[in-house]
Amino acid sequence: MQSAPLPTCLALCFAGLTHAAAPPAAPPDELDALALADKATVESTQPARPWRIFIEGAAGRNEVIGAVPRVDTQRLSIDMRLDVSLAPGLRAVLSDRVDLAHSNGVPPAENVNTLREAFLSWAYSDRQVLEIGRVNVRNGAAMGYNPTDWFKENALRSVVSPDPAVLRENRQGTVVLQGQQLWGNGALTATFSPKLANAPDPGAFALDFGATNPRNRWLLAGSYKLSDALNPQLLLYGGTNTPTQLGLNLSALASEAAVVFGEFSVGKGKSLPAQALGLAEADKTQQRASAGFSYTTGFNLTFTAAAEYNSAAPEQGQWLALNPLDRLRVLATADAQQDLPVRQAWFFHATWKDLLVRRLDLSAFVRRDHETDSRHQWLEARYRWDHADLSVQWQRFSGAPGSVFRAVPQRQAVELALRYYF
Amino acid sequence: MRALHAAALALGLSLATLARAAPDPQAILAASDAVRNPSRPFVVNVTLLEFRSSKQTDANSLVVYSKSDTASGQFRSLIRIVAPQRDANKLMLKNGNDLWFFDPASQASIRLSPQQRLLGQASNGDVVTVNLAKDYKAALQGEEELADGERVMRRAYKLDLAAVSPDVTYHRVEMWVDTTSSRPIRARFFAESGHLLKTAFYRKFQPQLGRERPTEVVIIDGLDPAWVTVMRYSDYAWRDVPDAWLQRDFLPRFKPE
Repeated sequence: MQSAPLPTCLALCFAGLTHAAAPPAAPPDELDALALADKATVESTQPARPWRIFIEGAAGRNEVIGAVPRVDTQRLSIDMRLDVSLAPGLRAVLSDRVDLAHSNGVPPAENVNTLREAFLSWAYSDRQVLEIGRVNVRNGAAMGYNPTDWFKENALRSVVSPDPAVLRENRQGTVVLQGQQLWGNGALTATFSPKLANAPDPGAFALDFGATNPRNRWLLAGSYKLSDALNPQLLLYGGTNTPTQLGLNLSALASEAAVVFGEFSVGKGKSLPAQALGLAEADKTQQRASAGFSYTTGFNLTFTAAAEYNSAAPEQGQWLALNPLDRLRVLATADAQQDLPVRQAWFFHATWKDLLVRRLDLSAFVRRDHETDSRHQWLEARYRWDHADLSVQWQRFSGAPGSVFRAVPQRQAVELALRYYF
Repeated sequence: MRALHAAALALGLSLATLARAAPDPQAILAASDAVRNPSRPFVVNVTLLEFRSSKQTDANSLVVYSKSDTASGQFRSLIRIVAPQRDANKLMLKNGNDLWFFDPASQASIRLSPQQRLLGQASNGDVVTVNLAKDYKAALQGEEELADGERVMRRAYKLDLAAVSPDVTYHRVEMWVDTTSSRPIRARFFAESGHLLKTAFYRKFQPQLGRERPTEVVIIDGLDPAWVTVMRYSDYAWRDVPDAWLQRDFLPRFKPE
């Protein structure tokens, strides 16, 4: 009998041992997780509701320059959005918000209803859509300042937060007839906004067509997807007494965690001081821009930084040459048009989801005016339950005397709010 | 000399037979993809339950519309949030790393980076269908016996997947695929640094859209094993998804019947 060599013997023995041993079980952590999943119950999946309604109660305090330096505010808001299919391809949208407000300020806070949207949308094929009614027509790749979001002008009736996302949501749409043609890699949207009234109507429940449809205007927006990373949008906007403006929106993925964006508009127009003070001034070519990046960390903190530019806004020397009342007029005009009140500014924004505690979110921004070195700051902490949010927000305008944001009558505000979703 | 030739021929034949017998790791991965992914456009409801230290901390409900891109072979998905109510009807569009978020209330379409998570622990790529064989090069590490998600012992191919596309969420993946049914059993996902990001178990296989598919994925965090997400898939259905839907400009007009 011939014996096997020793290495072969050892190999066979090892193979036999490994074969005979019990297969490895999952690590205890994994078994625990699977046991947890075994016990997890899921309520039967409900279809998405066509409506969203919440009520929000808030109380706040403002520090202002004026006869009553400390203004206490109380607010009750009812916010609803309905989006229903009436027939195949036919959709109706109604979005409205009522802010019932009370304050000891001069003048006191007023009740305001904002009819944000009310329109019919008809998709007569997968590639063609027609819309008629009041629509929140919104464009722009940037976060804090949107030069191509032309229909934002006079769209705000009630400002409950300076958060750019809230300002975009709580505004009146424009009454339009709008059509969209879609292709596999691109889209063209044509919008016509007719003149419906001459001037804004401050009435509590006014439809306020004078704010959103004061003249005939049109907008053409086309986009084409050049690659997964780049999908530019080109826009052309104009109308009666509205010099034609050209706009461009760009956003691109810079890395796994970073997005860069740029938003630009160019066209003839008057400077902000000329508009605010009624000065006779010939239209000049004006450029507006906002460009920057967003970066998300591994712990879900998203940080955005952007450089903002508005050639229609005053430079340092022009601002300092204005008297205090004229400065307020320029700020009021910029506020109504949601335009940048200074020539150059920096905008920094951060959102941190699940900060330290699960369901606690922190959001903040700082806009730093580059001309007179003043700041507009905002901070919000929000805790989310399944059907309710508790939030506290703080806002402050600061800077040296005579600077842009120091001229805002409101110095500081804090508000506590509780929201309940039905 | 003739004997030497014969021996060489025999050795060559044996090697050729062995080569034929060795399973192709890329084919194993593709077969496993076919178990997870329906071959035609479809819609599925996804429920995400998140647990921390055995307590449920969050729940999300989504509807995912998906179809494969004829050019890249990769899936493109439109995701609609159903619950919680505060986020209802918000949309996410995912074409590879072309990722957009749309909020109907503000009509804002925002480009997201893949790292920006909207759904807790699950990455945006976790909830949508992905053809791993398109994005990863598979290498066969051997066969192993392991307990599957139901704690049943299975014989599995162990695959090591290396990313071939920079667009992928995970740099490297270890995957165990059942040798007989091609079912995915378990996967471990790694960052570029080599850190384990998460472990996933595919389980509760049920007949869906023509074959047995996993209807539950249990995800265990790599750093904190007490952080567990259970993703449940239900109500699979074939559903035409027009190409025109899968672009940013359509998002404001999306209204499913």
